[in-house]
Amino acid sequence: MTLGKASDSDGPRATKHSPEVTRENARRAYRIMLEARILEEKLAVLYRSGKIVGGVFLGRGQEALSVSLGIHLRRGDVYAPLIRDQAGRMAFGDTILDTMRTYLGSSLGSMRGRDGNIHRGRPSEGYHAMISHLGAMVSTVCGGLMAKRFRGETGAVGGTCIGEGGTSTGSFHEGMNLAGVEKLPIVVVVANNQFSYSTPNDRQFACNDLLVRAEGYGVRGRRAVGNDLMDCLSVIGEAVSAARSGEGPQLVVADLLRLVGHGEHDDASYIPAAMKESSLGGDCLDLARTTLLEKGWLTGEEAADWQKIVEKEVEETSSKVLREPSPDPSEEDWNAFSCLDSQQNSRYPEERQ
Amino acid sequence: MFPSPDSMHLLPIIMPQLGESIAEATIVSAAFKVGERVEADTDLLEVETNKAVMGVTAPCGGILKELIAVVGESYAVGATLGYLEISDDDAERLGLNDVPPPPVEKPKKKKETDLKKGEVVAKTKALGKTVEPTVSGLPVPAHAGGASFLSPRMKARMAELGLHAADLAGVAGSGAGGRVTIDDLERFLQDLERNTISPASSMRVAVADAMRRSWTRPLATVVLPIQLDILLAHRKKQTIKAGPALYALRALSIALSEMPATAGRLIGDRVIHPRSVDIGFAVEAEDGVLVPVIRHADQFPLADLVERYNRLVELARARRLPGSDTGGSIATITNYGVFGLTMATPIPLPEQSILLGMGAGRVTPFWDSEKQTFVPVTEAQFTLSFDHRVLDGGAAGRLLQRVAELLGKPETL
Amino acid sequence: MSAITYLEAIRLAQQKALQDDPRVFIYGQDIGGFGGAFKATKNLAKEFPGRVLDSPISEDAMVGLAIGAAVEGMRPIIEMQFADFSTCGFNQIVNQAATLHYRTGTPCPLVVRLPSGGTPGGGPFHSQSMEAIYAHYPGLIVMTPATVEDAYTMLLEAVALDDPVIFCEHKFLYYHLKADKLPETVLPFGKAKIARQGRDATVVAYSAMVHEALAAAEELTHDGYDIEVVDLRTVRPIDTDTILASVARTGRLLVVGEAWPWGGVAAEVIARVATEGFGLLDAPPQRLNAKETPVPYHPALWGTHRPTASSVANSLRQLLEL
Repeated sequence: MTLGKASDSDGPRATKHSPEVTRENARRAYRIMLEARILEEKLAVLYRSGKIVGGVFLGRGQEALSVSLGIHLRRGDVYAPLIRDQAGRMAFGDTILDTMRTYLGSSLGSMRGRDGNIHRGRPSEGYHAMISHLGAMVSTVCGGLMAKRFRGETGAVGGTCIGEGGTSTGSFHEGMNLAGVEKLPIVVVVANNQFSYSTPNDRQFACNDLLVRAEGYGVRGRRAVGNDLMDCLSVIGEAVSAARSGEGPQLVVADLLRLVGHGEHDDASYIPAAMKESSLGGDCLDLARTTLLEKGWLTGEEAADWQKIVEKEVEETSSKVLREPSPDPSEEDWNAFSCLDSQQNSRYPEERQ
Repeated sequence: MFPSPDSMHLLPIIMPQLGESIAEATIVSAAFKVGERVEADTDLLEVETNKAVMGVTAPCGGILKELIAVVGESYAVGATLGYLEISDDDAERLGLNDVPPPPVEKPKKKKETDLKKGEVVAKTKALGKTVEPTVSGLPVPAHAGGASFLSPRMKARMAELGLHAADLAGVAGSGAGGRVTIDDLERFLQDLERNTISPASSMRVAVADAMRRSWTRPLATVVLPIQLDILLAHRKKQTIKAGPALYALRALSIALSEMPATAGRLIGDRVIHPRSVDIGFAVEAEDGVLVPVIRHADQFPLADLVERYNRLVELARARRLPGSDTGGSIATITNYGVFGLTMATPIPLPEQSILLGMGAGRVTPFWDSEKQTFVPVTEAQFTLSFDHRVLDGGAAGRLLQRVAELLGKPETL
Repeated sequence: MSAITYLEAIRLAQQKALQDDPRVFIYGQDIGGFGGAFKATKNLAKEFPGRVLDSPISEDAMVGLAIGAAVEGMRPIIEMQFADFSTCGFNQIVNQAATLHYRTGTPCPLVVRLPSGGTPGGGPFHSQSMEAIYAHYPGLIVMTPATVEDAYTMLLEAVALDDPVIFCEHKFLYYHLKADKLPETVLPFGKAKIARQGRDATVVAYSAMVHEALAAAEELTHDGYDIEVVDLRTVRPIDTDTILASVARTGRLLVVGEAWPWGGVAAEVIARVATEGFGLLDAPPQRLNAKETPVPYHPALWGTHRPTASSVANSLRQLLEL
């Protein structure tokens, strides 16, 4: 298993407390992590009380890594988050309200009940709506960056995340290779959370360290400690800056542990207790709070206040969205095309009735 | 989702969807007893799917009012496991009072999940039985050329015009295999416009329809000359006189009561036997024919039938025949002899397999082998028209012979 | 101007698209300096530097890139070297490009060019006709031009449309079809064309099969039959009205497709006619497709595997006797 190797890594490594991590950035990141955590806990409750259908996929334990990519991207960048990126999404501008609306299928949400949960996005604003087929978003982000290159726009970065399991797909390989060939300013963050659903790493890949793949693709590789906010902010911040300044694609690999099941239907009983108790199993949110308190960047009072404020916002949003209208099948235009009308889209007697 | 809309403060505890392919889960344990206070976001029940053990959570605080779920039992996703009594505020916050919650399942799907596992299996098995691959070849006779084939296009046009296949009998087809084409039809219809055209009466249309339907079957006729002298002598002696047709009707009813299967109908691969020997007789009315029926004709002696017969004839001629006195008969008598006809091959009613026809009686020489000379006898041709799918010539002949025999002993009728 | 081939029409359409619209770029294997495996992009890389790019052999990533660029407002054209290889990019086409507008409201204007259909010796992996597979997915426009004129105007139309377009161009027609000049007017999008008027039977065809159908129709004039040929032009959307109107005139329908019959375009046409136009039919509708095996290599086998003018004529004769 690659786990042991990753923790005593000898790969490229940013030092802790890098000067690039500012007080303001760290406080903002923590606040977003907290929002993501509290929001997702509420989603789990709504799911388990039968209010949410389909599934709820939580990012618990991955907030530090996720937020660190989202927070370094800005308007005009291209961002394709994956399953456990609630924190990164919110850092990029997604809201508690739209998350709640998408999960609960509100017709007022950006997905209008046509797609749900983690598949939300606003592609026209550079925020892609992932498809379930892992690896597909790497080349999609590359396309967005190609578009900017064709238009002569410089300084934009693309960011996407994937799990270690997703790196086994052909699509990931094609996307990484293409990013390398085109020398695009893309940052691909691999969250090696040790299990792809239930499959352990020794059944997922045979190389000692996923980071060695960077060289194969001709891209810069970096390692981050996945549950250490300061390290994640520092390493990913550097990666984004490098990409932005024209140094080409960046692959960031971070080891961590998913502190929940694959989805809320999964009790993650396959994760060994020893692994949970190792340094990998440390909760990034607790660790980040401790660090911020130690550094004097956050007071205990503030932390408690934030907790209350976010809980209240989540509660209020949930209550509001639960009363919002569901999509009405009779008002749906049932048209998959933008250049055809619904009659041209489908013309079958049973549908006309 | 909320089965009793009037119980605004009762929040149903729903079996959540515990995975994309999970249809049901088993209750492992219940954390609370009925009447206990439950805090928000605490687990009410522990449930187990084939994937994992999970909690069913209370979305808000309240009193556990009712617990439907039984430990060890399985419940479908969406099933109500119990009820929480909650405050007005919470009810409002959860959106229980006005707007419906997001749709969880379509009604169809719900029906499926409502079924218990065993029922689904049983249903599948039952369905399996009803599906029998019996059809071979095309439902449309792809290679059925010839004048009898009407294409969907022809049928559509004919339906539009209210035409039947028989109406095209006089049209020579110019299509593949002599088939009548749309062009042939239109030309034919155009040509008709040059004739005098009058509307057919509804009686005419009804008879036409019955005859057309009957004619879809292979019909045949057997003939037997029957001497009527004994019958006529018997008739002369009676005070209330039955007509020869009623004699024949009574004879046929006795013959059929002895061999009822001969009046059966062939439907698919089964012969449908008559329920009772009800015999009809044809009466000419204005622009058509009516068929009154003598019910259970085999069970009444001839003398008892005369009055009924005469009344039915009158009613039919006046076209006032009640519905109960027509239809449902298994055979019909037609006396075409009254038109002076000696022999005919009439068509049975579409729902009947046999029709007994009587020609006009004539005095004719008959060789008396005892006396070694010709003697004059009154003789009529009796015909039995039948559905050849049900009867063969032999069976039809035996039935007719038996009728002749009975007519030769009128005192027994 | 000398005669323009179907292939040249495709090249010229791309040239015009690149010229008229700065959002257009072309991405595909060997399409840069080399000009493409079939020379459909000959000289375009030189003429439009940086906009006609060689891609790695990564069909999935090529389409993913096109999607990302389309979302950002570009009008990418992806050249698959052969239609057959589009299966390697299938996921991106059907799961991302096709669903994007419905899911998110963001249009996904891109064109995937599929050099389609058989040529002698092409064999199982360089001969396939994929139109039915893509037409199955709501959200994809599927074009199957049969003429030089349509190849030119429809490709320009494909670039202009806001939806992903699968452009099935027939390799056999590349050099076999010629026209004197390119059209200046465009037929309405999504409308089929009556390629030949007739009264005895309708043949619905598309792409190369239109020409086999026209040849068969010509052959049947010797038997005294007058066959109508409908060129679908796009298989999705499909022009049901024109098909029904033709069947209403003739009462008989034969659908010809070079792809396999199972769940295909011919099946769809017949389903629509049976559903909406049953009362128009004088005979059961028929279809003629490729044989149900992979596309064989040897020209003798290949020539029998796909429908030809003579097999179309035979099917028509049978249909006319029904």
